[in-house]
Amino acid sequence: MAYTQANPQNPRFSVLSSSSLSSAEHLSPNSSRFSLPNTPSINTTLGTPRPNLRPNIYDRHLSKTRAAEVSASSFAYLFSEVVQYTQKRVSGINDLERRLNILGYRIGMRVLELNVWRTESTSKAPKREIRFLPALMSIHTQVWRAVFGKPADAIEKSVENDDEYMIVDNEPPITRNISIPRDMSQLSCSSFTAGIVEAVLDGLGFVHDWILPKTPLPIQYVQPARVTAHNTPSDADAYPGRTTILIKLERSVIEREELLK
Amino acid sequence: MRKADAENKDIFLLDKTKAMSHHIFILSPTDTPLYSLTHYSSKPVQSTGSSLSSNLPSWSTSAFAGTLTALSGASSATQHHTSGGGGVRVGGGQDRHVIQMIANASLDAIEEVMRRDSAMYLKSVDKFNEWIVSAFVTAGNKDMKFIILHETKNDDGIKVFFNDLWELYVKTAMNPFHTAHTPIRSAVFDSRVRASAKKNL
Repeated sequence: MAYTQANPQNPRFSVLSSSSLSSAEHLSPNSSRFSLPNTPSINTTLGTPRPNLRPNIYDRHLSKTRAAEVSASSFAYLFSEVVQYTQKRVSGINDLERRLNILGYRIGMRVLELNVWRTESTSKAPKREIRFLPALMSIHTQVWRAVFGKPADAIEKSVENDDEYMIVDNEPPITRNISIPRDMSQLSCSSFTAGIVEAVLDGLGFVHDWILPKTPLPIQYVQPARVTAHNTPSDADAYPGRTTILIKLERSVIEREELLK
Repeated sequence: MRKADAENKDIFLLDKTKAMSHHIFILSPTDTPLYSLTHYSSKPVQSTGSSLSSNLPSWSTSAFAGTLTALSGASSATQHHTSGGGGVRVGGGQDRHVIQMIANASLDAIEEVMRRDSAMYLKSVDKFNEWIVSAFVTAGNKDMKFIILHETKNDDGIKVFFNDLWELYVKTAMNPFHTAHTPIRSAVFDSRVRASAKKNL
């Protein structure tokens, strides 16, 4: 590099520069490749104030949602690639669901942080959710609306176990284009959604124990998933893709709820 | 290095003129600081306490002695609340690691309050010698905590500052490579926090 800069007559250099010359530069053959007059012309054609700088993450607005929607088909394509990529690297269905859960977890963390900011940052005294049922309701409506554009279809409480709750989605948008092979009928790609739910509940301190192990690893590498996804097609076959997200609460959370009553 | 020296000298000079200092920390769920900032405000401060520290021999302000005096200051402050309360502002209270310890020690008080109180902004949640500790708990990531150590009450200014910090933090967290345990090293983040601190504290 030092050599080419010291010697502008280097033939390799001139080949490079002529190939990357813009049409404006052809008119003035004397201008060097790194000359500045190039920049304003790009500037005016694109109409951006600073063409060299991408907008900084801190310059962007957190509440502009209108142009932030992603086309469903491109998401379906991306998600199918995610599933295929993961599937090549796992040893079974459990492992695959576990990894999809982890990927969803990374999204859920951000969804929670962003959603709370959007709803609370303008209020005089911002609040966190510390009770479980309102938190579950807000997942059912607000989180679902932020992620899928519609609220979930039902919330259920297990009859047998008092620490189990369920969120039901009749037609999960992310698995709309996925058909599960017969020999993998156990698999539910909504494990991804389960990961999102797990992150939200975990962030609010409901799924795992309050005290974290002192490790730099995210919690989900240390403990098994407490939120899982299951295929539960409805009897009348109206919703073949119906999915239930099963939430299993930590015992200490239920005790805390009792105390807060 | 030379710039850091100059800054230290500035800080020292400001300290002599009794500028009010604020210590700001962002603590991860595992209680490790992800970001910290010491801000010296130029706003006038009402004189509290005597200038005992200036009369002490130089060795007593060394790091170790500072810890001792800071900690013994705590016990004397609680025992002789009326008689010796004024003189607790000693050199140790300004030591970096003592400040850090005070911030981390206040986590006990913060965690107790945040289990039953759903407010995010916990004002004057803890006290230690001359320091008042205010905190802000975000909702996500198992509760990221912003902690600020300040000497005088300034509830509204701190509230505005925390709101700015919250917005900046949420933007940081939107980065797909950021986790709840990633230290925040962005220069833009730092300059925005400093600007907000300058305006509000």
